[in-house]
Amino acid sequence: MMTDTSDRLIRDYLDELRARTRDLPKRRREELLAEIEAHIAEALPPTASEAEVRDVLDRLGDPEGIAAEERERLGVAPKRAGALEWIAIALLLIGGVIVPVVGWIVGVLLLWTSSVWNTRDKLIGTLVLPGGLLFPLGFGFVATVSEACHTVVGGAQSCTTSLGFWGRALSIAIIVVITLAPIVTSFYLAWRAKGSSAVEA
Amino acid sequence: MVAPVSDGLPSQLRRGVLEYCVLALLRDGERYGFELVHTLGAIDGMVTSEGTLYPLLGRLRREGVVQTTWRESDAGPPRRYYQLTAKGRAALDGFTGEWTRFRDAVDRVLGQRRGR
Repeated sequence: MMTDTSDRLIRDYLDELRARTRDLPKRRREELLAEIEAHIAEALPPTASEAEVRDVLDRLGDPEGIAAEERERLGVAPKRAGALEWIAIALLLIGGVIVPVVGWIVGVLLLWTSSVWNTRDKLIGTLVLPGGLLFPLGFGFVATVSEACHTVVGGAQSCTTSLGFWGRALSIAIIVVITLAPIVTSFYLAWRAKGSSAVEA
Repeated sequence: MVAPVSDGLPSQLRRGVLEYCVLALLRDGERYGFELVHTLGAIDGMVTSEGTLYPLLGRLRREGVVQTTWRESDAGPPRRYYQLTAKGRAALDGFTGEWTRFRDAVDRVLGQRRGR
């Protein structure tokens, strides 16, 4: 019996190919997907091990390579990351700060309508982190005001904070992580967008 | 542009020749898609990945140099069998003669040394 992992490997491979061929004519795309699926079925006995599955997929090659070859054999212009993709990345990161929440939602819409990213990229772009830098900025603000300092009579300054040392260390750590996460995601999306156009260049 | 060939032959050269290698495999009779792809994939240096052969097979069908028929298989999904058309056979014969001439010419130039 094929293991769950083997099934998942095959499904992920076909999903990736499906995503990478989104810009092809529908009929040709369906045909190509069916051919690759039949190839996998022919190549693997029902008792295939996980290593055999990996080997077959490895020999089939990178889905983007197959998509690029199909584009070339069909004479379809390769997809490229254009202005909309860069606007999407910018809005995901800072759109929510410029126009609270709405800016980020527009970024998400642009992200999901683009064909240069696959579903996994789009999920990462959406979930890490919702709102982009809006959330860390908001969190930083709350953490700052929770530590209020006021000058009491006599000139001495007293700071009252609801957070102890560890509380403050934790909140700083959280701010760093939630600030870096959307920035790293932006770089990842930019790298993926450039990567998919570089393959056909 | 002259590129280093550490990654294999320039892709345009390989892709152009590959079409005729598919036709050559069909010279002695029909084969089904997986068999064709697997045979070519097993020849060292012939293809970069097996998956990229399916777009090529689609192109050959559209050009009418091969035709296909679907047939049930004992195990698994129906198979698409490829046959050479008259047009395909003529293309293959033409290429075979030209390729021999071209290959010999390239060999002569590559093997040439000064003073000979």
